[in-house]
Amino acid sequence: MPKTDLQGTLDLLVLKTLAHNGALHGYGIVQHIQSASNELLSVEEGSLYPALHRMEQSGWIDAEWALTDTNRRAKYYKLTARGRKQLQQAEERFDQLVKGVRAVLRYA
Amino acid sequence: MSLVRRFRNLFQREDVNREIDAELQAHIDMYVDDKMRQGLSHAVARREALLRFGNPTSTRERVTAADTTLSLGRFWADLRYAGRQLLKSPGFSVTAILSIAIGIGANTAIFSSMDAVVLRPLAVPAMDRVLTVVEHQERTGDDNVALANYEDWVHRSRSFEELSVRDGVDMSLTGAGDAAHVHAEFASSDFFRVLRVQPLLGRLFVADECTAGRDTVAVLSYGFWQRRFASDPSVLARTIELDQRNYTIIGVLPKSVQYPSIGELFLPFAPTPQQLANRSDHEYLVEGRLREGVTVQQAQADLRSIATQLAETYPATNRGWTIHAEPLLDGVNGPLTPLYYRLLMGATLFVLLIVCANVANLQFARGIGRRSEIAMRTALGASRMRILRQLLTENILLSLIGAGGGLIFGWLYLRLTLVFMPERVARHMSGWSNISLNGRAFAFSLVLALLAGLVSGLAPALEALRINLSDQLKAGSRSTIGASRRRWLRNIFAMAQISLAVALVIGAALMAKGMNAQLHIADTYAPEKVLTFGVALPEKRYDKKSQVAWYANSLAKLRSLPGVTHAVITNALPYSDYGWNREFQIENRPVMPGKDQNALNLVVDPGYFSAFHIALLDGRGFNPGDSLQSTPVAIVSRRFVAQYFPGQNPIGHRIHMGRTDTHDPWVTIVGIADEAKYTLWDQNQYSVVYVDAAQLPSPTTSYALMTDGDPLALAEPARKALASIDPTLPLDSVLTYRHVLNDQLIGLMYAAGMIALDALIALFLAAIGIFGVMANVVGEQTREIGVRLAMGARREDVLRMILARASRLTGIGLGTGLVLAFLLARMVANLLRGVRPDDPLVFIGIATAIALIAVASSWIPARRASRVDPLQALRSE
Repeated sequence: MPKTDLQGTLDLLVLKTLAHNGALHGYGIVQHIQSASNELLSVEEGSLYPALHRMEQSGWIDAEWALTDTNRRAKYYKLTARGRKQLQQAEERFDQLVKGVRAVLRYA
Repeated sequence: MSLVRRFRNLFQREDVNREIDAELQAHIDMYVDDKMRQGLSHAVARREALLRFGNPTSTRERVTAADTTLSLGRFWADLRYAGRQLLKSPGFSVTAILSIAIGIGANTAIFSSMDAVVLRPLAVPAMDRVLTVVEHQERTGDDNVALANYEDWVHRSRSFEELSVRDGVDMSLTGAGDAAHVHAEFASSDFFRVLRVQPLLGRLFVADECTAGRDTVAVLSYGFWQRRFASDPSVLARTIELDQRNYTIIGVLPKSVQYPSIGELFLPFAPTPQQLANRSDHEYLVEGRLREGVTVQQAQADLRSIATQLAETYPATNRGWTIHAEPLLDGVNGPLTPLYYRLLMGATLFVLLIVCANVANLQFARGIGRRSEIAMRTALGASRMRILRQLLTENILLSLIGAGGGLIFGWLYLRLTLVFMPERVARHMSGWSNISLNGRAFAFSLVLALLAGLVSGLAPALEALRINLSDQLKAGSRSTIGASRRRWLRNIFAMAQISLAVALVIGAALMAKGMNAQLHIADTYAPEKVLTFGVALPEKRYDKKSQVAWYANSLAKLRSLPGVTHAVITNALPYSDYGWNREFQIENRPVMPGKDQNALNLVVDPGYFSAFHIALLDGRGFNPGDSLQSTPVAIVSRRFVAQYFPGQNPIGHRIHMGRTDTHDPWVTIVGIADEAKYTLWDQNQYSVVYVDAAQLPSPTTSYALMTDGDPLALAEPARKALASIDPTLPLDSVLTYRHVLNDQLIGLMYAAGMIALDALIALFLAAIGIFGVMANVVGEQTREIGVRLAMGARREDVLRMILARASRLTGIGLGTGLVLAFLLARMVANLLRGVRPDDPLVFIGIATAIALIAVASSWIPARRASRVDPLQALRSE
């Protein structure tokens, strides 16, 4: 069975968001996930930032300070090549998980 | 690289924290901005943001953790914690660090010395590919190489990149300070290519210069340049005179390549056509560098097949000869030096083991006091791995500090060994001048420190974890839960210390005794009352007749010096391991094929026999009637008679020294002398043929002057007396006979001295070990002792109880130690001559001494136990 957990799902969401939007800061990521999921998913900041930093240390994403539209300094994250590969694997794993869970639900 | 980044983050924690704060703040600010845009007031928006965000400190902590999650962070914390713990018990720390410093220091010093002398004595690239090649005859063994054979190897062999040839010759040097004898190597220019050596100064000679007429250039060895020219860089282009011929100095070799170690000068070898055609003078030394991928065996097989061809082509000179090749490294030091070093390294590693046992023991003792600390940490949720790692970190820190001290101690130790080595002996060890504490020694001590930390820390740390949490917390720090197991382990460590110490001390004592026997082997000659020196008469100026005249004159002058009782000459002194072992033939007796027929050929004056107390058993001695004009005569040793004339009287028979093809005359045996021993290390027993210097003089000889006073006081008068006959003639190695003998034994003395030092340290550590164990036993059992005393036990009973326990420990340690020592002694005796493995006196003496030391070191704790005040002991719990 593919190894997957909630944290893996958060990573997947963040990576996908960055793949879709290019560089984005933490707040932007929260906003994007919220709107893209039609307000179904809400990411907690308390989980997001440790995850971002962990992924940065793992070399999946890169960070850079830049100014926002409203002229605030914020830390922008963007995907690295390694992150892209990671995203692909995470997507495959998630598909497997969904398929598996579906199958079980149908059977029951 | 993320690892690097995390590592960096570790040390820039402040910066990391500030950046995280800024990032989180920016998030909150953007949230507030958005909400205000939707119409909320600033205050409301901010409140909502903070509520949603949760506890910012905890978020920041978690983000920080993500940035530094690496065990490094914990390692750093462990290290600081360990440092604090060590500072808390300074007595323990100082003792442990000191003993580790001694153990690691001694090991580092011995290793440095061994590294320089044995492992890499020469800075020759790919030295494993450099071989020495000798010719080998079935009857007489290895011999040097004949030049014509060498030439054929060069042309026919396919195994070598280069082959080189050289010939060592003693020459007299003039034109640079006092006239002196120097050891020159006539070498082909390929010699330097084989070694891949580059000059320190100037240049090396080339093939072109190895031709007659162009060969007047000289390259100096580093040591010679230093001794004779005081490392003067302007020495190049200077002219020196060697055997009345001028040579220009063109280069100096580096310190890192002093090979051969006795070589002082290198001169181009320009062979004559006669030399090139000679297959019978086995005089030359050959070195070669193997081609890439060729093994020593392949090269040897290659050369042997050439030797077989040569034996067929030139049966007269080459039949029975084959070839032996071996790596250069094997030949650089001879067999004894590497042996001593291995022995010493082994003994010194023993000491380190004892140190580890000692530190482990100290840790056990400390573990008792720390049990509640560990219990508390476990109760607070620390995992066993976590605590184990922290305890080991503590040990490794201890060892590393010890290793730091060890480097200082090792440096001192090395200085000591260097200071006590006489220059005249060190000169013969290629790598000696390279000894230093270098990077390799440093790495070695670091590895030892880490190993020592693990070895000494693991058992106590595992033991410390083995606690019953609730019992421990309930009972408090002074109880003795699990004491029996702990004591059992500690006893093992103490016994191991004793047995290792016993083995080392006995080994050292046996070696010292063997050395002592060797040192006194020549006492019948009263060697401290004998002055010796060497003279070499240049054959160009001294023909046979003037040699004879010189010896007669010089001996007469020396004998007339005040204080001289005897003045004699011989070309080999007893026990000097020197002498000319020659083949010989007996008249009218064909040499049996395969029968080895040779004897030491010594050239002496008539007074030699009485001066060295060698009795004449039969016939006559030499007398003034024996001269160049009269028939040459010889005196043979008793062993000679037993070997070649068993049951017969050899007197009147004639023998011919040297091979059949030499021009030496036939000599008539006129007397039989009692045995005298000319070997010290050489295990062979030689027959001796003495001839008279007045009939068959030797151009090089040793003088021995015997006196009742200080022999060195005779040195100056002797020098003056001889200079009055020939002022240009230098005297070599003016030393007392005692010095000459001691130099022969210096390797053994060194090894014995160092091992004795190791043994002393071991003994000392073992005494500390026993003391530590017994002190702790008493400390742990104060309550039990109190009860015993309260119940009516007498103080003597308590004393006896503690001493009995110490004796049991010592007894078992001694028992295993004696077995170990016996095995060790047999090994050492196999390796070293003069050492007897079955010396009951040494075994019993040392065992008794160590038993006494062990009991003495447990006396203080035992006394303390017997003085326990029962009331106080019971109250204090």
